[in-house]
Amino acid sequence: MAVVDPSRAPAAPSGARPAPPLLRVQEVAKSFGATRALRSCSLEVAAGEVHAIVGENGSGKSTLVKLLAGVHLPDAGTIELTATPSPGRRSPRSVQAAGIFTVFQEVLVVGGQSVLQNVWLGSDGLFRRSVSESAQRARASEVLGELLSAPPPLDAPVASLSLSERQACCIARALVRSPRVLILDESTSALDVATRDRLFTVVRRLCASGGAVIFISHRMGEIDELADRITVLRSGESVASFARGEATADELVRQMTGSDHLTAGTERAPAGRGGATSGRILLRTRALRLRPGGRPIDFQLAAGELVGLAGLEGHGQHALLDALRGAGAVAGDVSTGDERLLRSPQDAFAAGIAYVPRDRRDESLFPSLAISENFGVATMGADRRAGLFSRRRSAARLANYVSELAIRLGSPRQPITALSGGNQQKVVVARWLAAHPAVLLLNDPTRGVDLGAKRDLYRLLERLSSEGVGVVMLSTELDELVELMDRVLVFREGSVEAEVPRSELSADGLVRRFFGGGGAQSDAN
Amino acid sequence: MRTDLRARLLGSLQTRPWALALVIAVILFVANQLARSSFATWSSWPSLLADFAPFALAAIATTPQMLSGAGGIDISIGPLLNLVSVVVVGELIARGTTSPWIDVPAALAVGAAVGCVNGILVGVLRYQAVLATLCGLFVLSGLGQALLATPAASSQSWLTHLGAQVGPVPGGLILIASPFLVWLVLARTAYLDQLYAVGGDEVAAYSAGVDVARVRITAYTLGGLFAGVGGLALAAATQTGDPTEATQYTLPAIAAVAIGGTSLVGGRGSLLGSLIGAAIIFLIQTLIDSLNVNSNVPQLIYGAILIVAIVLSATLSRTASRAAEGETVAA
Repeated sequence: MAVVDPSRAPAAPSGARPAPPLLRVQEVAKSFGATRALRSCSLEVAAGEVHAIVGENGSGKSTLVKLLAGVHLPDAGTIELTATPSPGRRSPRSVQAAGIFTVFQEVLVVGGQSVLQNVWLGSDGLFRRSVSESAQRARASEVLGELLSAPPPLDAPVASLSLSERQACCIARALVRSPRVLILDESTSALDVATRDRLFTVVRRLCASGGAVIFISHRMGEIDELADRITVLRSGESVASFARGEATADELVRQMTGSDHLTAGTERAPAGRGGATSGRILLRTRALRLRPGGRPIDFQLAAGELVGLAGLEGHGQHALLDALRGAGAVAGDVSTGDERLLRSPQDAFAAGIAYVPRDRRDESLFPSLAISENFGVATMGADRRAGLFSRRRSAARLANYVSELAIRLGSPRQPITALSGGNQQKVVVARWLAAHPAVLLLNDPTRGVDLGAKRDLYRLLERLSSEGVGVVMLSTELDELVELMDRVLVFREGSVEAEVPRSELSADGLVRRFFGGGGAQSDAN
Repeated sequence: MRTDLRARLLGSLQTRPWALALVIAVILFVANQLARSSFATWSSWPSLLADFAPFALAAIATTPQMLSGAGGIDISIGPLLNLVSVVVVGELIARGTTSPWIDVPAALAVGAAVGCVNGILVGVLRYQAVLATLCGLFVLSGLGQALLATPAASSQSWLTHLGAQVGPVPGGLILIASPFLVWLVLARTAYLDQLYAVGGDEVAAYSAGVDVARVRITAYTLGGLFAGVGGLALAAATQTGDPTEATQYTLPAIAAVAIGGTSLVGGRGSLLGSLIGAAIIFLIQTLIDSLNVNSNVPQLIYGAILIVAIVLSATLSRTASRAAEGETVAA
């Protein structure tokens, strides 16, 4: 492979004639187990264009990128690069050979190796180098010099670099190989501003020479600045595609959330629980920082309050939940209403703070144990009789919650895996309710849960709140945030972007804030 | 000031994790010399190296698989050494194929082929390495004993030379040096970078386009090839084909690799470290022999050294990952 590609003719001035599509994606679909991450996505990327893909959480952006990059194989549909024959079996390697290079959201460097090794990682044959070492050095310095004002020495271990520099190495890894199609998946979030601007210059030049860039970002400003075309993904489907200037930010948000949310926003019932909050503080944070350089968060949770946490994936909402359950933050502290500091998850549990994790399979279920055992693990002390564990007592305690949460099960002795996802989640919630918590922290509890089970959970949360339990719930479902919460904290880049009171909650308003827009023009129609 | 010194010490141990092992090896060598002044004299070097070579090569042959990550390990190396010695002495030489130009390549081919099969089991079929090579351990032991029930002696001259001196050079030295020559050649190709990348971060390597399966298969094949050299060393040192002798090397060889600073999770370590680790275990054994103490003591000692080495390498990688984490949190 040539280091620079002189055969690539400069493209015609943009707008002179419609450029031919370079990459064509037709109705690709991908499921992971029961989750349909991508239902049907189609898009065409023309040579010379920056094609942005936007969508809220779970819309399938990352899955699409992994399919394009060859990391996953599509269940259905086709991906073709029109200029070259399609690779046989798709893998990152064969896709790269066809000229598609991807920079992932995660910073994928091999910590123990040098900058040079990381920049050229994956380019060589098993033994043969694609490019001589001296040519590698020259090309790597050239590309890094374009991206960074002070490029690190090529032989420095990558572990000694800042995060921004490491991400620059990942971007350089794609650029040194003269990509035809460059995919940038949230790659700008780890970059500092100067590097980002330099990257944009490189991107524009790549497009001017006949390449194309697929660009995913949570920053509307960047999309405005760079994108020639914007495709909107919603629930795993490509729902709309706009040329530059065709759609306003409001229109994009409407496409991302779907029009059904618009009515849900206006017809929402008024605050249902009639001010059950007693004002007693259960949990507070002081000058809490979720990442270095983040704005400090002073948060208070009152008895009976339902507080929602929202934002695009990975913007700090998980970190706040972790901090509240005593699992640590970068700076600041978390304490209970009576000023007990929470330094560990054990402290938090002792202070009556229960946490329902997000990932049932990895973080909360014991798949090899029975339902009653999964229920009883956190509160086994209550099942003691004469110092020994009593299975019958455990089953009797579970029976209370079975009726209260409407858990549908045959026998409590069945394995937990015999239950549906919704009922498994109810068992996990019952586990923590049995500890009679003062505060319940929930991490996206309705993910992968059927509608009936969701309703049961909502009813439970309202009842807990009326009994004075404080609830903090991270959710990726806009509807439940809008309908259930007393207030919602919207996270962006590690800080609280906005705190939206119940009276102002709407799905559109939340999504606009995810992308850094204000909430004022939320009633655009 | 003191913390600065500590940081520098940790830093240099990080880049040369075998440095500590080298210090221990030198001390043990001196101790051996003091215990028995005839231990290493000008004339005893060839036989000393010939004695050391089979075990040193067993340790070297265990290293590439561990570097390849994902729990990479090969516990069939000991029986593979046996099998190679049986094939050379019990089959080839015993049946009259006495030319080293046939026997040596055959030994290497047997080793590499077995390693390649292990590599396919682990790299393509995704068996857990411990299980795949445990099966290999049983199959190879059985095969060796089926071919040759009891040790068979040989007085083939090239084998005798290899066990003593080839011209002025100790045969053991040639045997031990040959994997390093292969390694040096590989260092000039693209392979070693990819091996360390796959072992260091499989996800990053795969998504960057590295053919992870082929890199792993090659690592196991190299291990097998080095075991082929080890089998020759075994035959040269004992002048026999022995279906059981090297079986006892399996676990100490893994210990030697760990003592030499190779990370059991992959991506960090070196052949040189494994050689030094093997020297430590060998020197403990010889020291105990010259001091005429209870023969159960050596295992106790290298067990203790292993504990220290593992704690040390865990501490080192933790300090390194903590330094890296401080940055990653900012993601």
